[in-house]
Amino acid sequence: MGDNYSLRSYNNDQPNQLRLLIMLNNIGATESSKALTIKQISEWTRMEAPELEVHLTKLIELGYAQHFRSEEIDKYHLTIDGIRKVLSRYS
Amino acid sequence: MMKVGMLTWEFPPRVVGGIARACEGLAKELVQQKHDVHLFTLDFPGSPDYEEMDGIKVYRTSTELGHPNFLTWVLMFNHFLSKRVADVTKVVDFDVMHVHDWLAAFSGISFKHYLKKPIVLTVHSTEVGRAQGLHSPDSFSINGIEWWATYEADRVIVCSHSMKTEICDHFNLPHNKVDVIPNAIDASKYHTSADRGAVRQRYGIGWGEKLVLCVGRLVPQKGVEYFVRAIPLIARRFPEAKYIIVGEGWSRDLIEAEARASGYADRIKFTGFASDKEVIDLMTSADVLVVPSIYEPFGIVALEGMATGVPVVASRVGGLVEIIDHDRTGVFVYPRSPESIAWGIDKILSDFDHAKWITENAKEELHRSYSWEAVAMKTAEVYKKVVK
Repeated sequence: MGDNYSLRSYNNDQPNQLRLLIMLNNIGATESSKALTIKQISEWTRMEAPELEVHLTKLIELGYAQHFRSEEIDKYHLTIDGIRKVLSRYS
Repeated sequence: MMKVGMLTWEFPPRVVGGIARACEGLAKELVQQKHDVHLFTLDFPGSPDYEEMDGIKVYRTSTELGHPNFLTWVLMFNHFLSKRVADVTKVVDFDVMHVHDWLAAFSGISFKHYLKKPIVLTVHSTEVGRAQGLHSPDSFSINGIEWWATYEADRVIVCSHSMKTEICDHFNLPHNKVDVIPNAIDASKYHTSADRGAVRQRYGIGWGEKLVLCVGRLVPQKGVEYFVRAIPLIARRFPEAKYIIVGEGWSRDLIEAEARASGYADRIKFTGFASDKEVIDLMTSADVLVVPSIYEPFGIVALEGMATGVPVVASRVGGLVEIIDHDRTGVFVYPRSPESIAWGIDKILSDFDHAKWITENAKEELHRSYSWEAVAMKTAEVYKKVVK
């Protein structure tokens, strides 16, 4: 058994970025009309805002998430590559 | 003519693995054979909630509720799929519902019990195979849902004899409930006039440099990390070779880290997800295609490689064993063995004439055995067995 399987098997061992990516998919933040604010994501994921911002910045840098500003509020959602990355875990 | 419903969590452009392509190929050909096909799937950014694609009526369903837990989310989207199916059954009297994998099982089972209609289930892979064991509560639940779906289905379809053995053993299914129908490809899509030189130039492959290609989801079952570990061994014999890895997946970070640790990161390119056209261009331009899977119910990527005329080096596992004839239509290597993978690649790159002979044999075999027309006819036969 390769070491990689620990990631497949135990949610708690997953890097937080991957966990966040999966959660964003599962709670439905998959396109701009369904984008969520940091506060909303924090409520869903129980992650603190500063930690979330770090992870979201990294996910945006990797091309898995996207953000835009609407009425002075930052909103976040997955990109198509981000959705594919999440779904690959279960297919 | 039958009225066929299909339930699948992925359908183009929502492409994750092989299920989307298998559903597309089958549904298109069923339509060609005059069946009325209604396909229910999940939404995807930029795609309409209803459209007709090559005669297939495609219903994309939005999941109005979410939950961070994956299994809870699956239950929720199955509810919305069921709701959409229920709406359509007001005007369409389905003969059969074809369910693809556990992810759409709850919706399919509801259809069966509410409408007293038969369901056919295709098991594309199993949790115990994908995860190489059951290591978490989620895995146990998924395994349970898979068993439940095979129990509820009127007939079960798998894509290879190895999968039939796997599910009959693992789920205690009677052998006579399971039909083996291989996947196929539309070979005409792979006859391209791609400008090999231009494609290689686009990816920075210089004159005289070998291009070693690997295409697949970046998940452990595809064994891509073993291919990456083979690269230093290949480089001893072919220092000028370059490596392109096409695909996206949750273990990409780990595989990229492995590539950096190999000392050859500057010769390895990760493209991420690529369009069908780009994959075909790359396959047409590569010197060898590697399929290093450790678990493979079928291995459609090997067929795609065979269709483009690239020699295929593949692990001797699962459905690949039924596709490739060693040293005649491809080269087999041991799974999880970088040394064996390096040996197989060396064998192809060292002998151009033999590699060419292999690709000619592979093309012949492909045309003889793997067409969607045959797959659709066999699938329709299965439908007829369950339609009362």
